[in-house]
Order: sequence, then C-alpha cells, then structure tokens
Amino acid sequence: MAMLEIKDLHAAVEGEEILKGINLTINAGEVHAIMGPNGSGKSTLSKVLAGHEGYEVTGGQVLFEGRDLLELAPEERAREGVFLGFQYPVEIPGVANTYFLKAAVNAIRKHRGESEIDAMEFLKLIRDRMKMVKMDEALFKRPVNEGFSGGEKKRNEIFQMAVLEPKLAILDETDSGLDIDALRSVSEGVNALRDPERSFLLITHYQRLLNYIQPDFVHVLVKGQIVKSGGKELAQELEQSGYALFEENAA
Amino acid sequence: MSAVVESTSVYLQDFRSRSVDEPAWLAERREAGIQAFEALGLPHRRMEAWRNLKLGLLGQEHFAAADALGAVPMALAPTAALVPEAWRLVFVDGHLSPGHAAVDALPKGVTVRPLREALAQDAELLETHLGRHAELDAHPFAALNSAFWADGALIDVAPGTVLDAPVVLVFLSSESSAHRASYPRVLVRAGESAEFRIAQIHAGPDNLPYFVAPVTEIVAEANSSVQLHHVQEEGDSAYHLGLVHADLARDARLHLHGFNDGGKVGRTDIYVNLAGEGADARLDGLYLVGDGQYADYHTWVRHQSGHCTSQQLFKGVLSGKAESVFDGLIHVHKGAQKTDSQQQNRNLLLSPRALTHSNPRLEIYADDVKCAHGSTVGELDRDALFYLRSRGVGENDARGLLTFAFANEMLQPIGIEALRDHVGQRLAAFMPGDATVKELL
Ligand SMILES: Nc1ncnc2c1ncn2[C@@H]1O[C@H](COP(=O)(O)OP(=O)(O)OP(=O)(O)O)[C@@H](O)[C@H]1O
Ligand SMILES: [Mg+2]
Repeated sequence: MAMLEIKDLHAAVEGEEILKGINLTINAGEVHAIMGPNGSGKSTLSKVLAGHEGYEVTGGQVLFEGRDLLELAPEERAREGVFLGFQYPVEIPGVANTYFLKAAVNAIRKHRGESEIDAMEFLKLIRDRMKMVKMDEALFKRPVNEGFSGGEKKRNEIFQMAVLEPKLAILDETDSGLDIDALRSVSEGVNALRDPERSFLLITHYQRLLNYIQPDFVHVLVKGQIVKSGGKELAQELEQSGYALFEENAA
Repeated sequence: MSAVVESTSVYLQDFRSRSVDEPAWLAERREAGIQAFEALGLPHRRMEAWRNLKLGLLGQEHFAAADALGAVPMALAPTAALVPEAWRLVFVDGHLSPGHAAVDALPKGVTVRPLREALAQDAELLETHLGRHAELDAHPFAALNSAFWADGALIDVAPGTVLDAPVVLVFLSSESSAHRASYPRVLVRAGESAEFRIAQIHAGPDNLPYFVAPVTEIVAEANSSVQLHHVQEEGDSAYHLGLVHADLARDARLHLHGFNDGGKVGRTDIYVNLAGEGADARLDGLYLVGDGQYADYHTWVRHQSGHCTSQQLFKGVLSGKAESVFDGLIHVHKGAQKTDSQQQNRNLLLSPRALTHSNPRLEIYADDVKCAHGSTVGELDRDALFYLRSRGVGENDARGLLTFAFANEMLQPIGIEALRDHVGQRLAAFMPGDATVKELL
C-alpha cells in the first residue's frame, strides 16, 4: 500500500480554484520533490494536505496509508504521522518552544496509547535532535519563532520534525532563503531521518537543494497541475530551460 | 426607575439610623459621603462614565451594610492565606478577623493597623488624609464607602524605610453575606523614599448576591515607591465596584497591577494624580471575563506637573457572553511639559458573543509632550492556531496556549512571587484546553 495517494485533487481558496486535478503517489521510504513557478499552487497543496481550513477541497481524494486523510482535523493528521514544515513558520510570542513541543509530543504519544514523556527523557530527546540539526540551545527556550532569523525558523522546523518523527514530512521551501551552511545542516537533518518507513515531499524553487538531498522523483507543478514527472535529471533540465516550456504545455 | 429612587432613600435612611460615637471630623466626612451619594444617585445610562454598566439586582434591591464579622468560607481559606511571607490583615464582611491578623515584628516606623484601631492611635494622620484624596463626585459607590465604612487598614511607612515582605490585605465575604454590602477602606501613606509592596485581595463565595465597594487612598510622598496589587476574585453573583486613588509627590513611583477574575459585575476606578515633577505611574491590568460577567476598568491619570511619566497596559480575555469596558483618561495639565504618557488596551475575544468597549481619552493642554495610546480587539490568530494544530496539539489546547501567550505578559509585572503563581493558576483555570497542557505552563 502506498503511503500517500493523491487522486484528482481540486482545491480552492476564497472561491478561486488553485489545484486543478493533482495526481501523485508516494510510497514508504521515497523522497519526492515538487518544483514549480511562483503561485503555481505548491503551498496550497501542502496546506490542503495538512488540513488548513482556509483551503476548500472541491474534488478528488487523498489517502494516507489507505485512510481518507481529508476527513481528519489537522491535529489528527499530525498524530497519524503527517508533518508540514511551513514556508513561513508562524511566530507565537509568549509560548516557549519547550512548552509547545512538549504539548505536541505528548499529544502524539497519547494518540498512540503511550504515557506522557517524563522530563528527563524529553530533555534527552531535545538535546539529541538539536545536535542533529545544529540548532542553538538558546533558541529552544525562546518563544516559538519569535525574532528568529529566516534560517533559524527553518532550522526550527526541521528540529521539530526530528523530534516528532513523522511518517510523511512535507517540507514547503525549507531551503529558500538559507545560506549554504544552514542549507547543509537542514539537509543533513533530512538525510539523517531518511528511513525505509518514512517518506518526504520536498517543495522547492531551487535545484540547489537537490544537490544535498537526492530525490527519487521530481514533479513539475504548473497552474495547479503536475505537468511532468521524472527522476533527478528533471531538476537539472528545469534549471537550464526554466518553466516556460512547461507553462506552454499546461495552457 | 422608581426602584432606583427608592433605593437611594434607603441608603440615606440606613445612614440616619446608625448610632455611632465618632470624632466630629469623621462624622463630617461620612456626611459628605452620603450627600455625594444623594446628589449622584445610583448610576444610570445617562451618566457617561457608567453608561455600559447594568446594575441588575443592585439597582432593584436594598443591600444594607453588613454589621458583624462573618466566617471565612471554607473554600476561601487558601485565599485568606495567600502570600505566606507577609504582614497580613483579613476582613470578613467588612470587619476585622482578629484570628487571621499577622502584623507582629514590623520594622520601626511602620504601621499596619486596622482602621478602627488607628482612629484612636493615629488620629492625626487619619484626620489629615482619610477621605481627603478620593473623589466622590463621579463614583456613587465610593461615596457610599465614605459614608458607611466599618473597618479597613492603615499602612504607614516612615521615610526611608524599605519593606522586604509585602503587606497583604484580604477582604472576604462570608456565606451569610447575601444582600449585604461591605465597604472596605484603606489608607496608605509612603514617607519620603519609602518602598514597599501591597496586595489587596477581594474574594467571596459563588451563587450569592453580595456587594463590595472598597476605596483605597494612597499618599506617596517624595521619591517613594509603592506597588499595589489589586485582586478582584469575587463570587460569580457578586457586585464589586471600587476605587483606588493615588496622589504622587515629586519623583514618587506607583505601580498598580489589577487582576479582575470574578464577580457578576466588577469595576475599579483608578485615579492617579502625578502632582510633583518626575513622578511615575505604571498601571497594569488583566481581566478575565467569563460568560455572563461584566468587567470594567476606568483610569484617570492626570499629569499635573512636568517631567512625569505614565504607562498603562490593560489586557482582557473574554469568553461566552462576557462584556468588558476599558475607559482610560490621560489628562495633561497646562504647564505639564515633557510629559511622557502611554496607554494600551488589548482585548482577546474567545467567543463571537463577547463584547468589549475600549475608550481611550486624551485631554492635552501642554504642547511639549509625548502621548501615545492604542487599543485592539481581536480573536485568536488563525495561522498560529493552524501551526500549533499541525504539530498535533488539539484545537482546545492550541486555543489555551495562545490565550496564555496573550495574557502571560501581564503576569510578569506581578512583583510578589506567590501572587504571580496564584494568578497564573487562575489564568490556567480560565483558559481553554485540558489539564495536561495547563500543567506545562
Ligand atoms: N490565503 C490565500 N488567500 C488568497 N489567495 C491565496 C491564498 N493562498 C494562496 N493563494 C493564491 O493561490 C495561488 C497559489 O498560491 P501558492 O501559495 O499555493 O503558490 P506557491 O506555488 O506556493 O508559490 P510560491 O512559490 O510563491 O511559494 C496564488 O495565486 C495565490 O495568490
Ligand atoms: Mg509557496
């Protein structure tokens, strides 16, 4: 059984159709990359998969491990193992990263019928994952993303992913705006988490990311549809030709 | 309407039928109080400053002054003991509970005394200050307090004295206070360069219509520093309508922190006169207003001299069919140059049925001043909610975390640790979400 099956997915924002029939299947252990021009619907797809209520599904189906994903509340999707790394992580002044992440970890454990994590165990987990993504420990005590630089926010997303250990991680432009050091540690974090049981959907603008994370498949999203799919070489092709060719095809 | 007229005369009748043996100056001030009340009557919609307040039962029925000490309700025993390391006076139904008093070993030059006792021992100080500061012409209930107060506290701290422990005044209502009124009265004098913290705590049982109208007068002499934590946790059917008045001499500092988390109707009017140059007033307030409750802070900050500073920050969280008012005045007198005054009011509505009124008022008669004010009303941020939920945090818990985030800022300025913890627990009890998330905070 596939981990994720998207079938003819249509979605609208404020009455305007943005996704116009997406088909995509991701098996356990695979890394897929989606590339596409500005406004093509990449973030919309990620928000729909995570359950943002501002995005209305107007047609099609999404199955996660064979179950209807779209009927679940966002927190239920997370507890089932879907993780969305935000293109623009939200700043939440007044809520420390620690509280937030502990609440998240416990919610997921409870869902699995496990007991609450004890303080020592939590601290150990946090330390370990912070090292994995080379995140500064001081950031962890601060309010969620407040005053973080762009790179720190993205690192925090990967750090949270590493702590929550999802089955499916959707990373929406986690590489954008990162300098090379940050990009390296973000990529190392992702590579360290690669696992036959875990799948990734990387949304990116830049072929550069794929130098650090080798995808199994690359898809090109234009105007709400996947217009081409291929292997890693498709990214290089895009780098040279741009999206113009595909946009013509989509029109 | 006729009930209002009748109840006015009822309070006057109560007043005339008392038998008291008090000094002439005090009798005069009580008389001035009842006269001020007679002139004002109970508030009604046409009184601008009282427009939004619905008196309900208080306007229909007679709440006579409680004439005896009541028992501390069992559930409120912890409230009576809040802030363990403190000098303490506890009053029930407006009367001193001698068994709860802890005012031994006060430093030299420091008085913490029930007002009744102070009438004999500190007659001169009381005659000079008691009732000489609070203004009665806009607050009918402060007027009633002046007429009827039975007891309360005098806090007098000699020049240069710094108190390391706070003074805690607890005013409780008993289970037998239904349809009774109490009028706690507090006088605070801070001598030159004195420095201390006070907690004034009000609480009472739920499901009981009682009425409390406290008045606190603060006289802060030059360069003194007074922190007053004014905590309103009355029972859910209670009426609490109080007033705090502070007169600040040059370089004096007042930090008043209000916490309103109780009562059917809870209102506190805060008057601050920055009378001497360089005085500073900081007013903070947090109001948590549940279904069917009404909370109201009115502030009157008057910059009367130059180089004074004031900052006001009031935050409210409303749920269900709650209603709140923040009405804040900054008045800068002619000649009060170099005034720096700020006022902020922020409201978080957890329910579409909640209603909040925010009314900043600036009256500026000097030209070289910095004054800023702002007010916001909003719901929980949708993107933040989604972000938290996308990590597995349940919707209610996410709402709780964000509510906590909004209100938490108002816990930090509470300068008495035990009180800060207490207010934190009250906040946790108020906010949405389940117990395990609340424990994290
Ligand atoms: N919340 C929203 N309200 C209104 N329009 C929206 C909203 N979110 C997305 N859109 C619109 O949907 C379209 C697709 O946006 P989306 O953010 O999915 O694109 P994207 O491929 O992620 O672009 P980028 O590369 O810039 O991140 C755009 O036309 C955008 O304006
Ligand atoms: Mg995007």
